[in-house]
Amino acid sequence: MKTSLNNTIRIEKYLRGQLNPRDRFLFEAQLLMNQGLRMDLLAQKKVYTLLKMYHRKKQKEELGEVHRQLFSNPEKKHFQQHIFQLFNPKQK
Amino acid sequence: MDKHFVMETQETVITVKKPTLRERPVHEIYERAFPRVAAFVSNKGGSFEDARDIFHDALVIYYEAISENRSSVHTSGEAYILGISKHLWLQKHKKERLHILMSRMEKEISIPDDYFPTAANNRLLRILESAGKKCMELLRAFYYQNVSVKKLTGSLGYTNEHSVSVQKYKCLEKIRNTVKEKSLHYEDFIE
Repeated sequence: MKTSLNNTIRIEKYLRGQLNPRDRFLFEAQLLMNQGLRMDLLAQKKVYTLLKMYHRKKQKEELGEVHRQLFSNPEKKHFQQHIFQLFNPKQK
Repeated sequence: MDKHFVMETQETVITVKKPTLRERPVHEIYERAFPRVAAFVSNKGGSFEDARDIFHDALVIYYEAISENRSSVHTSGEAYILGISKHLWLQKHKKERLHILMSRMEKEISIPDDYFPTAANNRLLRILESAGKKCMELLRAFYYQNVSVKKLTGSLGYTNEHSVSVQKYKCLEKIRNTVKEKSLHYEDFIE
């Protein structure tokens, strides 16, 4: 478990360019010889991609909540009317 | 306090002259920037819902650009968000390319290549949202919300910062293993 956790940390540092030249060289040599490590590297890269997607999705959910608040707040009536008129100019 | 910072694009170096949107309340950003995007979308025949969706995507892209010092603006944040919105609109309505006027600044804007996820990534994300939500939240806090280890130590009920750091890597490993297990093909990793 501990070794695999160390690998996770090393992969992260490698992907972020945080390994010193010697450790990077050693890691790349291991990558050539160890298919499991190569798969872990690719999968971990994918995790970062998925985390970015997740963050974007959550941000949009949060913005959706702001939108709902703005368009249901009676104090923002003028703002709401201004926007609605853009899409339905005949309505007052 | 001067909030200027410099960012490079492929062609030029431009400065951001306004405080970043991150530093302003999101409601304020909404009220200032949404009317311009809504007017643009309405003018192009889009609906209120189209305007809302494009605006949210534009804000997400803008936040990323600011936080990664990737993007560049020579004008206000609102104008930049409108520029992103025009690009987003064009992605869906490619035939209108000749009918949408863009300033030099707007032309330099680009939407991140990975912004619209692949079907395989969407499928994986759905799996992770149900099977690894806690870890996804923890990792999001680490990587995207700049929540410090110290703060997480208290809020997650850990006694020391080392435990939180270990938990972060355990989560990373757990999610990685799920990705390996659920990826149907080798290509799923590298797309």
